[in-house]
Amino acid sequence: MNQSQNFREKVLSRWAGWSIENWGKALLIALAITVLLGFGISRLRMEMTFYSMLPDKSNQVRDLKNIVENFSYASAVLVVVDGRSIDDPVEAEKTVKQTIDAITLEYSNDLYNPYIASVIGKVDMNLFKEHGLMLTKMDDLERLKRSYSDLNLVPLLKHINDDFEAEYSGNSDKLADEETQAVSQFRGLGELLKLIEQAAEGQEVSDSKLDEVLDSYMFGDPYIMSNDNRMGLIIVQPTFTMNDIQILQPGVDTIEIGAKKIAFRAGIKAGLTGITTVGRDEMVTSGQGLAVSSILSLLLILGLLVLVFRMFSVPIISGIPLITGILWTVGLSGFIIHRLNIMTAMYIVALLGLGIDYAIHLLSGYIQERDGGSDFKTAVEQSLIKSGAGIITGALTTSAAFFALTIAKSGLIKELGFVAGLGILSELAAMLIMIPPLLAYREHRLIKKGKKDHRIFSKIKIKSDAASGIGKLLVKAPLLIAIVMSLIIISFSFKAGDVSIQDNLLEMEAKGLESVHLNDVMIKEFGMAPDGLMIISSDLDEVKELSDKLDKLSSVKSVESISDFYVTENEYAERGSFLQHFVSELDDGAPSGTVDSEGLLDELYRLETNLMEMGDLAYLGNMDRLVHTLGDITGIDEDGVKTRETSFDRLFTILEENPNAGTSGSMENLQNAIYNNMDQKLRTMSSTGKISLDMLPTNIKDSLISRDGKSFLISISPTQSPWEGEYRDIFTSQMNTVTDKGTGMILVADQMNIMARQDGRTASIFAVFVVFLILVADFRNIKLALITILPLMGSFLTLFGIMAVTGIKFDFVNIIVVPLLIGIGIDDAVHISHRYLREGKGKMDLVIARTGTALLMTTLTTVFGFASFIPSIMRAMRSTGIVLSLAMAIAFLYSVFFHSAVLIIVTEKLGWNIKPWRRRIK
Amino acid sequence: MKKTLLGILLLTVFSLGFLAAQTAQEIVDKADAAFQADRVYSTSRMTVYKSGEAQPVQEMESYTMEKGGKTYSLSIYTAPRRMKGTANLMIEDDLWVRFGSTGRTRKLSSSAKKNSAGGTDFSYADMGDGGQGLSEKYIPRLAGEETIEGEQCFEIELLAQNSDTPYEKMVVFITKDNYRYIKIDYFESNANVKSMTFYDYKTVNGTDYPFRYIMENHTKPSKTEVVVDIFEIDSSRVKDRFFTTGYLESIR
Repeated sequence: MNQSQNFREKVLSRWAGWSIENWGKALLIALAITVLLGFGISRLRMEMTFYSMLPDKSNQVRDLKNIVENFSYASAVLVVVDGRSIDDPVEAEKTVKQTIDAITLEYSNDLYNPYIASVIGKVDMNLFKEHGLMLTKMDDLERLKRSYSDLNLVPLLKHINDDFEAEYSGNSDKLADEETQAVSQFRGLGELLKLIEQAAEGQEVSDSKLDEVLDSYMFGDPYIMSNDNRMGLIIVQPTFTMNDIQILQPGVDTIEIGAKKIAFRAGIKAGLTGITTVGRDEMVTSGQGLAVSSILSLLLILGLLVLVFRMFSVPIISGIPLITGILWTVGLSGFIIHRLNIMTAMYIVALLGLGIDYAIHLLSGYIQERDGGSDFKTAVEQSLIKSGAGIITGALTTSAAFFALTIAKSGLIKELGFVAGLGILSELAAMLIMIPPLLAYREHRLIKKGKKDHRIFSKIKIKSDAASGIGKLLVKAPLLIAIVMSLIIISFSFKAGDVSIQDNLLEMEAKGLESVHLNDVMIKEFGMAPDGLMIISSDLDEVKELSDKLDKLSSVKSVESISDFYVTENEYAERGSFLQHFVSELDDGAPSGTVDSEGLLDELYRLETNLMEMGDLAYLGNMDRLVHTLGDITGIDEDGVKTRETSFDRLFTILEENPNAGTSGSMENLQNAIYNNMDQKLRTMSSTGKISLDMLPTNIKDSLISRDGKSFLISISPTQSPWEGEYRDIFTSQMNTVTDKGTGMILVADQMNIMARQDGRTASIFAVFVVFLILVADFRNIKLALITILPLMGSFLTLFGIMAVTGIKFDFVNIIVVPLLIGIGIDDAVHISHRYLREGKGKMDLVIARTGTALLMTTLTTVFGFASFIPSIMRAMRSTGIVLSLAMAIAFLYSVFFHSAVLIIVTEKLGWNIKPWRRRIK
Repeated sequence: MKKTLLGILLLTVFSLGFLAAQTAQEIVDKADAAFQADRVYSTSRMTVYKSGEAQPVQEMESYTMEKGGKTYSLSIYTAPRRMKGTANLMIEDDLWVRFGSTGRTRKLSSSAKKNSAGGTDFSYADMGDGGQGLSEKYIPRLAGEETIEGEQCFEIELLAQNSDTPYEKMVVFITKDNYRYIKIDYFESNANVKSMTFYDYKTVNGTDYPFRYIMENHTKPSKTEVVVDIFEIDSSRVKDRFFTTGYLESIR
C-alpha cells in the first residue's frame, strides 16, 4: 500500500483488493444488505395520489380525504350535452333536454352499475312543491306573499308588475344573479300571456296546459342548462374516486361511451369533464408517445456504455448495483419516512440517471488503467482510488444539498430532500461495494473461458481518453473560452428572473383534451367552474351560516349545501306562523268571476313596459339568454326594434276593441282555473310539517350527506377556473375571510406556489450554501470551493434565462431539475477539480483526457434518458424532458469548458494557490 | 368632502402614522385634482369584453357638475341603437335611470350604486364618485413605491372610513413626477376584485386627464374599456337644469 494514500484512499484500496479476491462474499454482503432493507420496503406506502402533494397533517387534507371517501359528489363526472350544432335555439334546447333524459335512462342499465352510484339529469322538484315555502327565507316569503296576495288575474298581474319594478328595474346585477330563475319565470309568463290571449279570443284553455305553464312560472326549469339553453349538464356520481387507479379508466370510459353514443344518435355531442375525468385523461396521456422514445433512449444508453467500455456485460455490471442502490433507497425510506409520494417516486426514476454516473466514472477509470497497461487488480484498485475521491466528494455534496432541502416548511420538499439524499448515498455505496466484485466475476469468467475482449471492440474502439482534444483546446485558449462563456451567462442572467411558474395545473395536461376544454366551456356557457372548494361540517347550523356567508362573496358563483333544506327551530316557528297567516288569507280569497278589462289592459301595458326595460338591462349586461327570452315575449330584437306582433299586441287590440272581453266565459274560466290551480299549488307548498333529512331527494342526500349520515358537505362553485393562479388567490382569499376550512384538489396547485415561490427557493439557496461548505471542507481551500461552485451558479442562471426567453415555465414535474442540477452541476466540476489537484498545474489537457469522457458519458446517458420524455403528448412531461436535457447539457458545458478554463486562468496565469491548507505541496 | 383642518389636527393626536398619512393625503389630493374639475362635458365609447370577446360599443355623453357641495352627474347613451336615450342621473347617493325604450324614469335605491352600471365592469359608484376625488370616503396610507406601466409610482392604500363605502379598500398607484393615477386596485373581502388602469393622459385646461381607462374584473372573465373622445372642463354645454328628473324625462 502506498504510504502517501489518505484514509479514504486506503479504505477504497483495501476494499478493492478484498472484494476482487472474494467477489462471491462481497456480493453476498450486498445481498444481505438488500434483504435487510427489504423489510423497509415492506413497510413502505406508495401514495401516488394528489393527497401526497398536500401538507400531510393539515386539517384541509384530512377533510379532503374524508370528502373524497364519503361524498361521491366530490368525484362527480360531469356530462356536458352540447346542442350548439343546431341553429334553431328552440330545437337545440328541446334536443338537449331529450338527450339528457335518454342518457339518464341509459345509465340505469346494468352495464353501468359497477361505475355509477347516481345520476342527476334534472332537479327533483317534489320536495319543493310540497314544502317549498317552509324552505323559503322570510324576505322572499314576504315578496311571495305580496305577489300572490290575490290570485285573480288583474291583481295577480299588478303584483307581478310591482315585484318586477321593486326587484329588477334598473338592477342588472339582480337580473344577472337570478338569470336562470328569471328566464324560467319569464318563459312561464310568456306562455301564460298566450293562454290569456287564447281565452280573450274566446277559446277555452285546457287544465293540463295551464298546469304545465304555471309549473314553469312558479318552479322554473328542472334541467341544468347553459346560459343560452343550447347545452345541458348531467352530474354523474361514480362508485369510485380518482384514487381508485384500477377502476378509474374503465369507469370513466364506460360513462363517456354511453353519453357519446346517445348524443350521437340525437345528432349532437356529449363530453365529460370534472377532476375525475381529468385524472383519467392524465393517466391515459402520461404514457402516450413515450413507448418508442423510451426504448430508443434505453438502446442508445446501453449501446454507448457497451461501446465505450468495450464490454457486453456492462449493462449488468452497472445495472445490478444501480437497481440495488434504488432498492436500498426505497428500503431506507420505508424504515424512516414510511412512504413515497408522487414527487419522491419520480425522483427514484431520476436516480437511475444519477446512479449510473458513478458506474461510468468507476468503469472509465478501470478502462483507462487497463489501456495504460495495468493488470486487472491494479486497474480496479487505481480506478477506485482515482475516481473514488471525486465520486465520494461529489456524492457527499449532492446528498448534502438534498438533505439541506429538509429545512423547508413544505413536507413535499422535506421528503424529496430526504429521499434524494438517501438515494445518492445508497447509489454510491452500491456502486463502490458491487462494481469491483462484479468486474472480478467477469474477469474470472473470461479467464475460465480463455477469452479476451470481444473482436468487435478491436474494430470499433472509442479511446478512453477521447476527450483529450477538448483539454488541448482549453489549454490553448482558456481566456477566450472563459470570456465567451461568461458573456453567455451574463446575457442569460438578465432574463433569469423572468422565469415563471405554471400555476394552472390544467395547462400541464396534454393539449386538446376534451375534459380540459369543457372545463373552460362550462365557465363560459354555464358561468360556473367544475372544480371548486368544499367544506365538511357535522353541525347543520354551521353549514347554514357558512353557506349564507359564502354565497355573498363576489368570487363565488353558487353554494350548494344541505342548508337549503334545513330549517332551524326558530325558522320553523317564524315561517310556520307566517304560512298559517298566508293560508288563512288564501282562505279569505275567492275567484272574482269576471275580469276587469280596463284593469287588465293597464297591467298588460305596464307588464310590456317592464319586460322591455328588463330586456334593455339584459342587453346591456350581455345576458343573451334573457335578451332572447324577453325578446320572444315583447317582439323586440337585439337592436331594440320591434320586429313582430306579440301576444301583448293582440291582447291590446282585443281589449281596446272589445272592452267587455274580460267578461267573456272563456276569460272567466281561465281566471277561475288560474286562481284554483295557483291556490292549490300555494297551499301544498305551504305545508308547515317538519322536513327531515330522509325526505330529501336521493341525489341530494347522496351528494351532500356523508355515507354514515354524520357530516354534511358545502360545495362552493367559483365564478372562474380556480386552476388559474391569480383567480385562485382571489377565490381562496375571499373564502378565508369566512372560514379556513375550505379544501379541494385545487389546493394542490397552491402547494406548487408555496414550493416554488417561497419554501423551495429558500431551501435551494440553503442547499447551495451547504454544498459550498462541504467543498470548503473537502478541498480545504475557499478559492477552489468558490471556483468549483461557479459553474453551478452559471448553469442555474443560463437555464432560468433560457426558460424565460422560450416561455417554458416551472411546473410540478419539471421542478425536479433544481435538485438534480445542484447534484449533477456540482458533480462534474468536483471531478475536474479533484483530478486537477492530483495531476497538478499545466496538466488540464490530461485532466480532461482522464475525466472528460466519463463526464460526457454521464451527461449523454442522462440526456438520452430525459429526452425520451420530449415526445410525450402531456405538456408537463414534455417540458420536463426539455428542461432536464437542457440542464444536463448546460452543466456539462460549464463544468468542462468554463470551470476548467477558470481553473487554468486563476492557477496558472494569476498564480492562485488552490491546494489544501495543511498540504501546501508543490 | 375635503378633510378639515380640525380633522387633520385630530389625526395628529390619534394617529402614530400621521406623517405618512399626511403625505399620502397630499399625494391623493393632488391626483384627485384631475377628477374634481367642475362642469365637465365628455363623450366616450365603452366596450365590454366578455371572455375576450368585444360586446356592442356603448357610446355616451356625460355631464358633471359640483354645486352646493354636491356632485351631479348625468350620462346619456347615444349608441347602440337599442340604448339610445337611456340615461343615468346621479345626485350624491341618489340614482335615477331613464329608459330610452319606454321613456320611463325609475329611482333606484342607494344600495344600487354598488351595482354594475349597464352591464359594464364599472359600478354606478365607480362612475359617479370620481367627481369628489377618490380619497373622499377613504383614509389614505402610504404603503410604498412601485413601478407600474413603466412609471415610478407612490402606492397608497385607501381604507374605507365606514361600511357604506363601495369597497373595503383601494390601493392606488400615483406617478411620482406628475401625480397622475396610473392604476387603482379595488378590494372586497380581502381580495383584489377589480383593477382600473389609466392611459393616454392629456392636459385639458391645465389639468391632466386620462383619455382611456380599462376596468378589469378579476372575479369574472370580463373587462371594460372606456375611450374618451371629447373632454371639456368648465364647459358651457353643462347646464344646471340637466340634473333634474324633469329633464331626464324630457330626453328624446
